[in-house]
Parts: sequence; C-alpha cells; structure tokens
Amino acid sequence: MKRVLGAALGVFTAIGGFMDIGDLVTDALIGARFGLAMVWVTVVAVIGITVYSEMAGRVATITQRPVFDLVRERMGARLGLANVVVSYLLNALTLVAELCGVALGIELATDVHYLLWVPLVALVTFFVMWRLPFKHMERLYGLVGLFLFVFVVAVWQLGPDWGAMWHDVTHPSVPSGEGLPTYLFYAVVMLGAQMTPYEVFFFSSGAVEHGWTTSDLGQARLNVFIGYPIGGILAIGIQAVAALALQPAGIQVEHLSQSVLPVVMAFGKLGLACAVLGIVAATFGSVLETLLSSGYTVAQHFGWSWGKSMAPTSAARFSVLVIATLIGATALALTTINPITITIYAVYLGAASLPFTFLPILIVANDRRYLGEHVNGRLANALGVVYLFVVSAAALVAVPLLIATKGGL
Amino acid sequence: MARYLDAGLELLDRQVLDCDGRPVGKVDDLELVMDAKGAPVLGALRIGPQALGMRIGGLVGRAMAGIASRLAGTDQALVVPLEQVDEIGIVVRLSVPVADLPGANRLEHWLRDQVVTRIPGGRRATQ
Repeated sequence: MKRVLGAALGVFTAIGGFMDIGDLVTDALIGARFGLAMVWVTVVAVIGITVYSEMAGRVATITQRPVFDLVRERMGARLGLANVVVSYLLNALTLVAELCGVALGIELATDVHYLLWVPLVALVTFFVMWRLPFKHMERLYGLVGLFLFVFVVAVWQLGPDWGAMWHDVTHPSVPSGEGLPTYLFYAVVMLGAQMTPYEVFFFSSGAVEHGWTTSDLGQARLNVFIGYPIGGILAIGIQAVAALALQPAGIQVEHLSQSVLPVVMAFGKLGLACAVLGIVAATFGSVLETLLSSGYTVAQHFGWSWGKSMAPTSAARFSVLVIATLIGATALALTTINPITITIYAVYLGAASLPFTFLPILIVANDRRYLGEHVNGRLANALGVVYLFVVSAAALVAVPLLIATKGGL
Repeated sequence: MARYLDAGLELLDRQVLDCDGRPVGKVDDLELVMDAKGAPVLGALRIGPQALGMRIGGLVGRAMAGIASRLAGTDQALVVPLEQVDEIGIVVRLSVPVADLPGANRLEHWLRDQVVTRIPGGRRATQ
C-alpha cells in the first residue's frame, strides 16, 4: 500500500512538474488563434520529452551523472561552455516568466497588481529553497497543481461537437487569415512549451537528489511514462477550451486572465478558484525547477558540489549562484517587462537549444561502460534519433521564422 | 592487460572526486612530462578555471583565466600528480581527500565562510 502511494505521488509530481507558465500561456494563445490545429504538435512533443527524460533519468540514476556532466564530457570545454551559458540564460529567462506567472495567478484571485506580488513570491521561493526538503517541495506543487484538471473537465461542461473536434485534430489546417510561416512559428512555440529543456535537466538532477539507484528505475520510468502523457492531456484540454470558448468570440490571449476565461464560463467562481490554485501551484513549482536547474547546469559544468538536499554550506558556490539568479530574475521581472512576451521567447528559444542537450544524452545512453545492461533498446534509439532530427529541424528554422514573422505577428 | 585510453575522450572534462566522493572539479587540462627517453608521458591533471581558461583560449578563455587568477591570487591551477589518481572511469577518483590538495576549491570555501554561513539556516541539510 505504501509503495503504491509512493508510486502514485511520484506520478502526480511529474504531472505538476510538467505544467508551467509556458503551457498555460501558449496552449490558450494557440487554442484561441489556431483552434485544435496544433494538437498534433503537442502529441509529438510529449512523446519526445518522455523519451529523452527517461533516457537522462536512467543515465543519472545508474551513473549519478546528470545532463550537464554529459554535455561537458561529450562536447568538450568550448562547445560545452557555450551550451551551459545559453542554457543558463534560457533557464533564467524562464524563471522570470514563471515568477510573473505565480504573481499573475495571485493577481487573478486578489485584484492586486502582480508586480506587488513578485518580491513576495521570490521571498517564499527563497525559504522553500533554503529550508524545505526536496521531496516535500516536489509533492507540494505536484499535488496542488492537479487542480488544473478543471481545464479538462471544462471541455465536457462546454458541451462541444465531438465529431467536429476530432475532425479538427486529425485534419489540421492553417486558419484563414494566418500565413504558413506564422503557423510554423507557433508550432515551434508549442514544441518548446511541451519540450522545455529544464524538465530534462531537472528530472536527471532530481534522480541524484533523490538518491535513486538501479532499483528505482521502475519508479523513474513510471513517472515519465504516465506523468508526462497526462500532463499532455492537460495541455490539450487548455487548447480545447480556448478553441471552444475564445476562438469563436475572436478573443486573443494577451494576458493570463484570458487563459482562465473558458473555465470561468464553464464553472463560474468555483472554476476560477480551482484554476487559480492550479496555476499558482504549477508555476510556483516551475519557479523552483527553473531556479534549481540554472544552478545545476553551471555547477555540473564546472564540477562543483551541488544539490538542494545538501546543506548550503556543503555546496556554497551552487547555493550562492542560485540566490544570485533569484535576485537577478526578480529584478528583471520588476522592470515591468511583459511576462507573456518573455514566456513566448523563452519557450521558443528553448526549442532551438534542444539538440545540444539531446545529442550527448543519446550518445551516453548507448555507452555500455556507463550503463552496462541498461543501455538504450532499439525503440529508445529509434525514437531518440527521430526526435534528434525533429528538434534539429526546429532549431534550424527557428531564427529565420522569428525574423520572417516578426515574432509571430 | 594494458587498456588503450583516449585521454581526450576518456580523461579530459571528466568529473574528479576525492577519496570520500567529494567533488574536486573537472579534469580541465593535462600536464605532460618528458620521460628518460624524451617521450611525452602524462604527468598530472590540472583542475580549475585557470587551466580551463588557458585551454579554451581566445578572449573568453583569457578572461576566465585572468579573473580566476585575480580571485585566487595565483595563476597556477590545482595540479594533481598522477600518483594521487586512484581510478579513471566514468569519474576520476583520487586517492587523497580534497582537504589535502593545496588551493583546491578556494572560491567554494570563501563563499561558504563569507556568505553562506551568515544566512540563517545555511548550515543545515534539508533531508
């Protein structure tokens, strides 16, 4: 019984960890603008993140070597350094977006401007970082984040024409009035929103933080194989309610309040309460994940001692870097920079950075000196190679598309 | 049986742990010495941003090495002779504790003593 409960908690945590401000904004934005024409991208992305998270988690569980250890080893000092700098900056940018996300969530409930909440959120983040054990931290946001399922339930409440919806999903087309480059731009955004790089960094480093060993491989696999697809269903739910409620009314998503509008239309105040709870928990979880990930990447590149589960005095450089990153991100958020714009750019550039972390993972996951009998099977390798091509193609077209569409206009 | 070791792939950029499993850094550079016949052989591992910066080279590398040298007060990286290396595998394991390596993890100790211990709760682990 206790083991079943532990396993279920792990899965719930994975679902909560999957959702972040990127999902909440881009799913609603894309649903309102393109209807269900990008559900297929969500499915593609969720399979990809599942494959690579499992691989990175397996490598870290067996060898205690998380992603940026492998990046340094396989890409060498120069390319590895470039990779770690870019990844750190993207993490920090995502952190800004998530901090604003928590604050915007609280704004929805309190009507007090989000900028007043940002410093408070940062302070709570610091206390959780400094004092709350890793496991409790994960469970806290993982479980409360499940309130986001109100978005999925709302699909039924809005009473859609299921046949027409299925047709839209299986026959995706560019809506009239939108150009193909814009469609492709948002397809890359969607890819990045579901395949956020920090999820892989965090999952592999988390395996070391949990002290997982070979006997925990089953739990690790369960978390990604069940948790991430359920997270994907949540993402599709947000797209579907936006397509049902916002698209016909011609509402564009420019603020988080518009993301929750469909839930309010379906369930009123109760729906809003659930959505706000879910949003605050999920984005707060992502604040912690992106913040820790920025510390993980740098510490692992330079070979410092790292870890939230260590006493900060035993990982001084890591702890100081994490605090400095939190202060910097809070300052950037307080410049009144538009959180939605930040989110879109962080997610988009994140998609472009994926090949550089996926390649080292794929190589090491095939190395018997590291993994012995636990090297990749044929399925993992086939999917791994396919997805390496997918993310490389996305990375190649990312910058030209960004310029051609002026950032998705 | 002697095993062939590709130092570029299997030694450089690997994580270095001391005899108690504490991180020392990465193998940032290698030091070659001449043996009696004048052939170059591996003599020591060089660890630290001074070594890494010089290896990377260019503006970025020189800046990294320069800043690290200023902070440490010396442009010498930590040099670990091959005799103190216990095992070369997925990680490089030393046969000595990190405390016995002069000048290792200087920044770590400085930040620990000057910053982290002054923040309440910094001494306790959370697990």
